[in-house]
Amino acid sequence: MGNLDDPRLMFNYRTRERGCIPPDEKRQRFQWVSEVAYKNVHRIVSRGYDTTELVEEGYGLTDVLFIDFQARIPLIEEDQMLNYIMVVMLEDGQSNPANIARIVAQGKTYLTQAAGASILAFGHAFGGYSAMGNRLMTYLAKGEKEGKSVAEMAALLVKEHAKDEALGVSDLMLKDPMAKRLVARAEKLGVAGKHIAFQKEIVKAAQKASKTPVDIDMLGATCAAMMDLGFTPEAAWAILAVTRAFAAGAHYCEEIERGDGYVRLGQVLTPKEDYDGEPDRPVPSLEERKKVVKSMVAKTPQEWRENVDKKKKISGSGWAIEEEIEDPRGSRKI
Amino acid sequence: MKRDRLFGRKTGISYKTEEKTVLRGFNLSDLAEAGYTFYDALFVLFQNRIPSEAEMDMLRYETGEFLEHSMSPSAASAIAVINGRPYLPAAVAASVMTFGGAHGPGAAHGYMLHKYIERARVEGKPVEEMGKVLVDEYMDNGLAVMGMGQPQHTDGDPRAQPTHIKHEQLCKGVYLDLQWAIEKRFNERRKKEGRSYVAVNMIGAGNTALAELGFSPNAAWCIGCVCRGFSCAAHALYTMKKGRAWAASKSEPMVQMLDLSMIKYVGPADREVPPQSERQAYAKKQKEEGEYKKWVI
Repeated sequence: MGNLDDPRLMFNYRTRERGCIPPDEKRQRFQWVSEVAYKNVHRIVSRGYDTTELVEEGYGLTDVLFIDFQARIPLIEEDQMLNYIMVVMLEDGQSNPANIARIVAQGKTYLTQAAGASILAFGHAFGGYSAMGNRLMTYLAKGEKEGKSVAEMAALLVKEHAKDEALGVSDLMLKDPMAKRLVARAEKLGVAGKHIAFQKEIVKAAQKASKTPVDIDMLGATCAAMMDLGFTPEAAWAILAVTRAFAAGAHYCEEIERGDGYVRLGQVLTPKEDYDGEPDRPVPSLEERKKVVKSMVAKTPQEWRENVDKKKKISGSGWAIEEEIEDPRGSRKI
Repeated sequence: MKRDRLFGRKTGISYKTEEKTVLRGFNLSDLAEAGYTFYDALFVLFQNRIPSEAEMDMLRYETGEFLEHSMSPSAASAIAVINGRPYLPAAVAASVMTFGGAHGPGAAHGYMLHKYIERARVEGKPVEEMGKVLVDEYMDNGLAVMGMGQPQHTDGDPRAQPTHIKHEQLCKGVYLDLQWAIEKRFNERRKKEGRSYVAVNMIGAGNTALAELGFSPNAAWCIGCVCRGFSCAAHALYTMKKGRAWAASKSEPMVQMLDLSMIKYVGPADREVPPQSERQAYAKKQKEEGEYKKWVI
């Protein structure tokens, strides 16, 4: 059948076994292994604490976040700081998460789809907590190892990453004091630590390097503060993306309450004036196909390079995007 | 830097300028500076008001206990998604999207309560009596009464009754009266039918409290489901940092979630692929015989 007798194949396709694999009796059976939480018929336990006993004792959501992500009860000041951060991060007007929620709402979906989808707005530019936080940790560790000062490491970081969207320094908060007030509150509460100190040095270095005014932005302030509260960059990323999802739920509701009704498949038009692609052209017949088409299969690296350069000019092909996908095998070591 | 909005919408929720971000008229930075909590801010977001301290306490209690629930469909989703090692937000988003008609149907429960409270008003009946009507109408029509029973906590969800008691202490109102009436009638009927006692679950308890606090069915649903997203992020993160990607490795001491031996197939028996030369006749016969219909999903 087809190529299934090709001698290069790894096994005999004619004599392959049928049916499922029997249960593996030699190894321990599958279980949901977790360091975070367990439950039984009568209890739900997070990091050793019964969650009902926690709330009966007056602990709340923000305390449980420390417990879930850090396995500890926070200091009162730390809980106050996390509340502060989550209040200012709750809403941001009609920014990307809200817009996504509104678009999903227009399809007549469950609220949970819209709120969940809003979380997908968080990447390495919009709310780039993972990118920024890991970089702070890398440069701090490097400075410590090489005996360099925080100011020196900040200057190096800015030199190497000045244009990165997750620098935490930009022109976004030049007139809005929210980010600076947040840092001042962390210092007042006594919870500011090495990440805020480092971020302040990064601000100084960036201001020195920039021809235009820049200052600490919300990513810079909230990421450094979350890390001083002991959250990993990934935990900060998730917690603040989920925080914003509450507001996305409100935008979902408002879109339905105040919108122009649900949007149907095929309803939305794209005016021709927004189109700058190929001019309208006739579809070749299947007979003409052999004459007009040209394969893009490259036989040599040089041909491949030429093909790539041609394809880069086709918007929407993806060839003009250069990104590095992280090797997932390294992620266990974060 | 370009700062235009993607598309324009009139909104009563918030605005943002170069100077400030304003939620329902309150500068968010000022709200935080004044010492208001995240719980207060949720009232401002969804209800355009600052809550009483008792209301704030109830929301703190509710969200604190609802956040973590170990292995539920939402946590399992987050873990399954992160096994492919996408960016973390994808797993967290999936967990929130898991909530639907069976897992935490908060909005549906809220609408059910609204409908029968309104009927109590219109028909001039006490809420307690309307709880009986609700249960009878649902059970007589073979419908599940929302807010009752939990498949894992078979003796009653450990969070539910304490939530009812806290609710009674802090903000008891018409919703709790109706919910209690539902629970009472529900188990009266089950007893009469010789069936076992079924306790209230966290939708019945938690969602009732959120409704009493003034949250709409969808706002309450949002608070519950999104709140769970936090713990699902922790489960995904644990799996990402300490678990094995793909979840199928033979070298792990424990059989993995996606090990081949975990697959049990109960579909049509293995069969020969028809050659293309026989395809049309084969397909016609298959369609006529109709055996395939029992497998259609």
